[in-house]
Amino acid sequence: MRSPKPRRVILYILLVFSVFLFLLPLWACITTSFKTVKDLIYTTPVEPPLSPTVAPLITAFNIMVRPLLNSFTFTVAAMILSCLLGSINGYILTKIKFRGSNIVFLFFTIGIFIPYQAVLVPLVLTMSKLGLYNQIGGLILAHTAYGIPITTLLFRNFYGLIPDSVIMAAKTDGAGTWTIYRRIVLPLSLLPFVVAAVFQFTSIWNDFLFGVVLARGSEVQPASVALANLKGTTEFQWNVQMAGTLWYALPVLVIYLILAKYLIRGYMAGAVKG
Amino acid sequence: MVSVTIKDLTKQYGTCVAVKDLNLEIKDGEFFVFLGPSGCGKSTTLLCIAGLVKPDKGEVWLGNELVTSPERDIYMTPQKREVAMVFQDYALYPHMTVFKNVAFPLEVRGEDKGEIMERVKATAELLGISQLLDRKPGQLSGGQRQRVALARAMVRKPKVFLLDEPLANLDAKLRVKTRIELKKLQQKLGVTTIYVTHDQVEAMTMADRIMVQKDGVTEQIGTPDELYNHPSNLFVAGFIGSPEMNFIDCTLIEEGNRLWLDAKEFKIPVPAKIVPELKSYIGEDLTMGIRPEDLYERESVKGITQKNALRMTADIIEPVGPYLLLHLSKGRCPLVARVKETTARIGQEVDIEMDLSKIHMFDKKTTEAII
Repeated sequence: MRSPKPRRVILYILLVFSVFLFLLPLWACITTSFKTVKDLIYTTPVEPPLSPTVAPLITAFNIMVRPLLNSFTFTVAAMILSCLLGSINGYILTKIKFRGSNIVFLFFTIGIFIPYQAVLVPLVLTMSKLGLYNQIGGLILAHTAYGIPITTLLFRNFYGLIPDSVIMAAKTDGAGTWTIYRRIVLPLSLLPFVVAAVFQFTSIWNDFLFGVVLARGSEVQPASVALANLKGTTEFQWNVQMAGTLWYALPVLVIYLILAKYLIRGYMAGAVKG
Repeated sequence: MVSVTIKDLTKQYGTCVAVKDLNLEIKDGEFFVFLGPSGCGKSTTLLCIAGLVKPDKGEVWLGNELVTSPERDIYMTPQKREVAMVFQDYALYPHMTVFKNVAFPLEVRGEDKGEIMERVKATAELLGISQLLDRKPGQLSGGQRQRVALARAMVRKPKVFLLDEPLANLDAKLRVKTRIELKKLQQKLGVTTIYVTHDQVEAMTMADRIMVQKDGVTEQIGTPDELYNHPSNLFVAGFIGSPEMNFIDCTLIEEGNRLWLDAKEFKIPVPAKIVPELKSYIGEDLTMGIRPEDLYERESVKGITQKNALRMTADIIEPVGPYLLLHLSKGRCPLVARVKETTARIGQEVDIEMDLSKIHMFDKKTTEAII
């Protein structure tokens, strides 16, 4: 067997060390979730629990289950809506040339750079006027609207790769604008849909600011807000909080694990070049 | 199957004129070729006929139906025009099988399933792609994709076929083969066909009539024979034929009661037949054109009586196979002769005869043909 080169060895040591450092907080989070209050005092966060218990996980779950379902509902809804609208926008902006389309696109781009904080007051006012304050619909609307610019950009860039001749061929074949979208463009969009969906799911799921101003303390409050409230008022229940964090991180983790597979497959099958 | 009529068609992109005042009448069932160098407006014209591009002005008629007229605010969408188009990159739908690709135009029109099945199968049979129906475009070779694109265009029996450089992406051998098949197919179906190419050999071999375009302007419309033997200007003369026509700049002079073409390096007597046409150009700069096959090596010629041999130096001899190309020069005047055989050696001098009955004369200033 060939002995590895010293440079390689150093590289691997460095990489392993980085991974160790990177995963340490997660490890601490997991161990803490299984600790009793007593263990919290007698062990450091990275040490395994002395007497492992699932009680913190159950407690956290009971508190978090409703907010998690809330988050899941509006995240999935807003993700689907913003991806679909972004896809339609991207198609129109690249394949149906109309007067001023560049200016419209410029506005979409500007939309990406508007900070959340800048729109909080008008957002809350608008939602109250619409009767959507403290409603799941309000969260869906806000996140969809905020997602459209970035998904539009993403789909527009991807659709730029679909040759115009394919669209022209479909037109002479007799297909109208909507048929072309449904039969040609949409089926070719697996890759951007996966990318946009992962991006949207993560950013909506992780959002705290919209959740806290639009639905704090209500029936529909998101998991991110509930998690912040989990820390308790009289004592720091680190174990329950860490357990809540685990529950909160789980869906994103699962989505990534499922979609990463599709992401790679999408790259392989997404070759538009015929 | 219809005729196609174009009147005063003009299309500009920004300041760039793609087509200018094009007038054209393509007969029912004709194989018509738009020929010209890249970026000369051929494809734009085609897209205007298909309705994929709206012209700035002018009219497009399909048969008796006016389908485009910006002046009269008439514009029929490509979906309704019943024209089929084959694109240079074939534009197949990458996510559909060959069957679905070919069936697409029928499905969109809402034909019933049995009918679609039958017609797709018949078309696939005709083009020899029956065994490929379950494959996706990505699994096909260039030639196969090209056939699928043709099948998709043919399956719905369009009034007009529009082909935009359909052979450009095939390798040389396949191109020649497909050229013949395409011509046969067109004769069999009898569909009015408009074919865009920059390859003059394709145009000459396939077309009933050709329009030569340059910078959006029509240079000449005619049969392959007319374009070859009677080019109407320098551009057409140079564009049609391979190797291209030899051009010699000269001045028409009168000397000793005869007309001569003075090319500095040599003087050529004007044949009596064309003297009347040339008479008014005495003293003017002209361009003489002669095709390589109308030049002969003196030794190999019998029966040509004109005393007009040019002594030239053989620079390069290209053996093409059935014939040889002699690249000759005298001073700064180069000529290419196409001969069956030669005694010439590179660097040596050789006597070259011209078949003066075959010369073309052009006005150097206007580049228009005189005879």
